[in-house]
Amino acid sequence: METNSFDAIVVGTGISGGWAAKELTEKGLKTLVLDRGRMVRHGEYPTATKTPWELPNGNRITQEIRRRKPVQSRTSYPTPANEHWFVDDIEHPYVESQPFDWLRGYHVGGRSLLWARQSYRLSPLDFEANAKEGIAIPWPVSYDEIAPWYDKVETFAGISGSTDGLAQLPDGQFLPPMELNCVEMDFQKRLGDKLQRRLIIGRTANLTAPLKHNESPQRATCQYRNLCIRGCPYGGYFSSVSATLPSAERTGNMTLLADQIVYEVIYDNDKGKATGVRVLDANTGKQSEYFAKVIFMCASALGSAFILLNSTSTRFPNGFGNDSGELGHNIMDHNKPGGSSASVEGFLDTAYTGRRPNGFYIPRYRNVGKDKRDYLRGFGYQGRAQRAGYSRFNDSALIGAELKQAVREPGPWGISMTAFGEILPYHENHATLDRTKKDKHGLPMLAISAVVRDNELKMQEDMRNDAGEMLEAAGYKNVSVRSDNYNVGNSIHEMGTARMGADPRKSVLNKFNQVHACKNVFVTDGSFMVSSACQNPSLTYMAFTARAVDHAVAELKKGNL
Amino acid sequence: MNDSQELVKRREILKRAAWLLGGAVSAPAALAIMQGCSAKEAVPGAAGYLPKTLSADQFALIADIAEIMIPRTDTSGAKDAGVPAFIDQALGAVYDTETQRRFTSGCGEFQAAAQAAGDKPFLEQDLAARTAFVQKTLENALAEGAGPKPFILMARELTLLGFFTSEVGINENMDYVAVPGAFHGCVPVSQMKKPVYWE
Repeated sequence: METNSFDAIVVGTGISGGWAAKELTEKGLKTLVLDRGRMVRHGEYPTATKTPWELPNGNRITQEIRRRKPVQSRTSYPTPANEHWFVDDIEHPYVESQPFDWLRGYHVGGRSLLWARQSYRLSPLDFEANAKEGIAIPWPVSYDEIAPWYDKVETFAGISGSTDGLAQLPDGQFLPPMELNCVEMDFQKRLGDKLQRRLIIGRTANLTAPLKHNESPQRATCQYRNLCIRGCPYGGYFSSVSATLPSAERTGNMTLLADQIVYEVIYDNDKGKATGVRVLDANTGKQSEYFAKVIFMCASALGSAFILLNSTSTRFPNGFGNDSGELGHNIMDHNKPGGSSASVEGFLDTAYTGRRPNGFYIPRYRNVGKDKRDYLRGFGYQGRAQRAGYSRFNDSALIGAELKQAVREPGPWGISMTAFGEILPYHENHATLDRTKKDKHGLPMLAISAVVRDNELKMQEDMRNDAGEMLEAAGYKNVSVRSDNYNVGNSIHEMGTARMGADPRKSVLNKFNQVHACKNVFVTDGSFMVSSACQNPSLTYMAFTARAVDHAVAELKKGNL
Repeated sequence: MNDSQELVKRREILKRAAWLLGGAVSAPAALAIMQGCSAKEAVPGAAGYLPKTLSADQFALIADIAEIMIPRTDTSGAKDAGVPAFIDQALGAVYDTETQRRFTSGCGEFQAAAQAAGDKPFLEQDLAARTAFVQKTLENALAEGAGPKPFILMARELTLLGFFTSEVGINENMDYVAVPGAFHGCVPVSQMKKPVYWE
């Protein structure tokens, strides 16, 4: 066997790549796992245990970070404590035909280190919506087909949450739920009494109890530091680095290489299948080829779209597997046009201890059951109630010993929430290659054009109004509704660039995430999504990836790949 | 907490993390964590600190204003916590040049107004007069409302940020627990010695 030959290649090590690596290696395949960024092993989180006083400038984002990372800084995420997980935008440019926020981390683990860990199943309602409403194409997979795979990934990853019996947000295999605080419980009750709406604790990939399996001895329970985004030395939350890659490593079947930029999938016209990938070393520029029987693309919806669009051949002149013309199209994210906040009177004799890396969730209620709106689909809210800290005195004239005394008293309660809405798939929202522009490796740039359209604009009126109305209905004071200027991508849930479907003329992948026109290539990151629902999508990528590997290995054994 | 105590505490945290990981904290990670405690920042506010963003005059002024807002009492004050140097550094690193310029020209305007009100330079006035002037300037700024943030409120925000992200500011005023280990959603405040670390 050539040293560059493997049974399987996985491109990317984020949420999906980590799962592909674990499942393939556990099924006995010698697997090469490639990431374009630097190596990160569990525990290598340089700021994870820094105290507030060990971080420069009060951990405020600096002008230098803004200068190097202007796109990443369009969110409030990058700070001195975590900016090493966000790409340098000057080194990693792309073309924005419309403003598009592409938030990325190029390192082993990818955005699984950075994610907000909110983990929700899509529901039958979500999987059936396209077909019922005649939008885009139908999902080729039903909820019942994917449900056992949700069970599997939830159990391994460790998802905490409450069992709520909601048809639009199916329950799963949960670890115990985190607690709501006193004001959140008050809001929950008032919301139910006044508006018959549900509020639940967020379902999150943080361990609230030991895992129900023994496959991750490196992981301990959540320590409630709420510093997840720096990487957790306790393995308290699920990431590729803390969970799936260590499992893959233990099989002895994984070869993990960092700094390897996959830029092309190699297609063999005679064999009618893919034979491997072409790779650039990120540091030296050295080119290599790696070969395998099966290839899993897990480089993110835009990353995989880039590689496939850049993989042209006589058979695939418009991009790999792109007979349908849908590759790079149908980009979705979650619309995030605002939310609301209010002050809450009373409850001054109660507070909370520990720093909970989670908030409350108000599941979708619009266009559910008898509710009918003049737009399709719906939205959910994520929020939290908390007592104010010292910064409440920023705009105050209190000084001296009195100020010091006042700061020691817990501040008043406030509550806030943010809406996340479904974006429909539109062919016009797309990414393509701009071959007139090159990055530092000489690769063409991805050019992205995506906007929200009529359905989202109609929905966002409800998203804002309802946010204010709910806090008013609860009787809270100084209710303010926030309107945020949203660019597609800003929810960091980009998806849909190689959708799955039953009809190869209208989709890139079949129901097993397999490229219709080249059966030994699977795409299991957010690319496959046919609709976006309004729930955070990572759990769905995990489930589909595990299912795709199961199918791939079965097909390999049958000699079909 | 002094340096050696801090080191011990950090070693303990590291050891605990290593134990939880089955001893799997890699060398680079351990190094990075340990460097966090040895690479002590130049002690801000200590004698000998040379301001980088502010002039010597502006630095002396801002140090005094910060100490008036958060004085040393039975617990540490702004200067003890290194707030003046924090402000000098953060102003240079965090704010754009236009905002820096507004801040430094605000220093001059503050001094001119103080001199007009007190018949001598601000720093030569007695503490009661300086305190009263800071208080009055704050009240006026808060009454102004719209427009770019006035100098005195910028100075205040930086003072609070610097103080309550400093070791003494946090440990003497808040019950900061690095590793809480649990979350309890509804706890009587009466059971808390000091506010938990809220931010």
